[in-house]
Amino acid sequence: MRIGPPAKLGSCTSLVNSLLVPPSSLVYRAGELSLLQTRKMVVYSFYIFDRHTECIYSRLWARQDRPISSSAASNRPISTSSTASGGNTLVPDLGPARARPARLSAQDDAKLIFGTIFSLRNMVRKLGGPDDSFISFRTGQYKLHYYETPTSIKFVMLTDTQTLNMRNVLHQIYVNLYVEFVVKNPLSPVEHPGGEGVANELFELALDQFVKGVL
Amino acid sequence: MVNFNEERVVYALIIINKAGGLIYQRDFAEGLNKLNINDYLVLAGTFHGVHAITTRLHPLHPPPPPSSERPDPPSGIEVLETENFRLQCFSTLTGTKFLLFTEPQQPNVDKVMGKIYELYGDYVMKNPFYQLEMPVRCEGWERRLVGYLRVLNSR
Amino acid sequence: MASQPIKPSLAGNASQSQRTSQPGLRYPSNGKTIYHRPLNRSRTQELSQASFAYLFGEMVSYAQKRVTGIQDLEKRLNVQGHPIGLKLLDLLLYREPPRTQNRPLNIIALLQFITTILWRHLFSRPADALEKSSNPDTPDEYMISDNDPLVNQYISVPKEMNQLNCAAFVAGIVEGVCDGAGFPARVTAHSVGKGEEGELWPGKTVFLVKFQQEVVEREAYLPKN
Repeated sequence: MRIGPPAKLGSCTSLVNSLLVPPSSLVYRAGELSLLQTRKMVVYSFYIFDRHTECIYSRLWARQDRPISSSAASNRPISTSSTASGGNTLVPDLGPARARPARLSAQDDAKLIFGTIFSLRNMVRKLGGPDDSFISFRTGQYKLHYYETPTSIKFVMLTDTQTLNMRNVLHQIYVNLYVEFVVKNPLSPVEHPGGEGVANELFELALDQFVKGVL
Repeated sequence: MVNFNEERVVYALIIINKAGGLIYQRDFAEGLNKLNINDYLVLAGTFHGVHAITTRLHPLHPPPPPSSERPDPPSGIEVLETENFRLQCFSTLTGTKFLLFTEPQQPNVDKVMGKIYELYGDYVMKNPFYQLEMPVRCEGWERRLVGYLRVLNSR
Repeated sequence: MASQPIKPSLAGNASQSQRTSQPGLRYPSNGKTIYHRPLNRSRTQELSQASFAYLFGEMVSYAQKRVTGIQDLEKRLNVQGHPIGLKLLDLLLYREPPRTQNRPLNIIALLQFITTILWRHLFSRPADALEKSSNPDTPDEYMISDNDPLVNQYISVPKEMNQLNCAAFVAGIVEGVCDGAGFPARVTAHSVGKGEEGELWPGKTVFLVKFQQEVVEREAYLPKN
């Protein structure tokens, strides 16, 4: 699928910005949007690192056997086990999946991811020049997308391997969600030690909707 | 971002042995910064480590393997994209890694990589004077590799 | 001569049952070893070049152990090839049509046999050139050129050993053929793929065939035809 068309992005963001609408109708509209897509994309997780190399926000979405958007489940070719979650229609089915797999602790994972992007970023700058920055890498199992703001805040998203370039999406998340709901939030501190002030209700909800809408 | 004059260019090749040591590095076209040999060694080691880490970053539980078959081992980085170049990594079954740096829009990198691997198999591995895991200094390999990529880059 | 065994032998019959009971690398289960096959059967069969390359690579590595120098190494490769030449002379003559099954009787016939029949059998093509030394001091020297010796295809000789040419093995085969035909000679392989010719054929090799004195003397007595 393409992320490209500005019209669609625009509608996503305007949708997110109109957050005063009750959530249930939002989900409905997100479902409608997702019907436009022909192929299923999966976002696995999302991280934000601040300029002190600290992970200030992390979010894990779907497990493989349960696709992210349950609202459109019946309309999409998905694995059969998802019918179990088919009952929770119109309710964001994201809560349970946030529990981390026991394999590595969430903190360890975030540290490994930071180490990886940090090393790659340095390597890329060394080879490609100081203005080069890496966009994404792909393994056989997943794809990691990277976007760094001029203020050295790093946005990282892990998706399935088929997903095309998500840098625009990460940029949108920064501009329309992070800046709007975290930076402009008068109650949020300037720095975010331990993730303080990032995971507020508006940001999380908007992020959910945005990611769903994009897919 | 995209340099249209040089749209299909292979910039460089790096080969890393299974212990993370640099055994071959060569530039074929302008485009990447030149590093000194020490930096290349560090780069090879770093990439080796990052490659190992990326095999473990998959955020999902792998589905329990069917008892009859053994699942493919998770692969590390296969493709890395940046604004200025694209890096394709091919890891052989024996753990040698080939890193091919190309222009971002370069097509058919898989084919180029396959050909390079073939040349390596022929002119490095079949050479009785090549010592395994040591730096590649084979004149026949060098000649054919440079010849192949010169044709490719001038197309 | 290497032809079919005339007597499959009584002893063979006795051990036949034992062989069939213990099939293995040496004795296949049907009791037919490689020596039971007609000699012409494998005439047109080809061999994978990769498998030969690996084998030859190991032969070179093996010869390289405990050698004192490049000369010594080339000597060892030469010695590895020599018995092959002796046997090939028999085999290839046997495979010639009956009218021309005679062994070569003069130097030119021998060298032509080598550059065409032997080369075709080994490398599927004739040698690229055959010349007599133009130096009047060395009437006993002949040169066989191969632009791209098959045995050296995948070999890159390190700089510090640049005198080495692994085609010394082929030189050994040629030497074996000469010796077997009654023309004792020393054959050595030399890389000449330098200079302007090296652009086209960087692996070009000349096999220098130096016949022994008595061969040249004997040749002088033969009637010119």
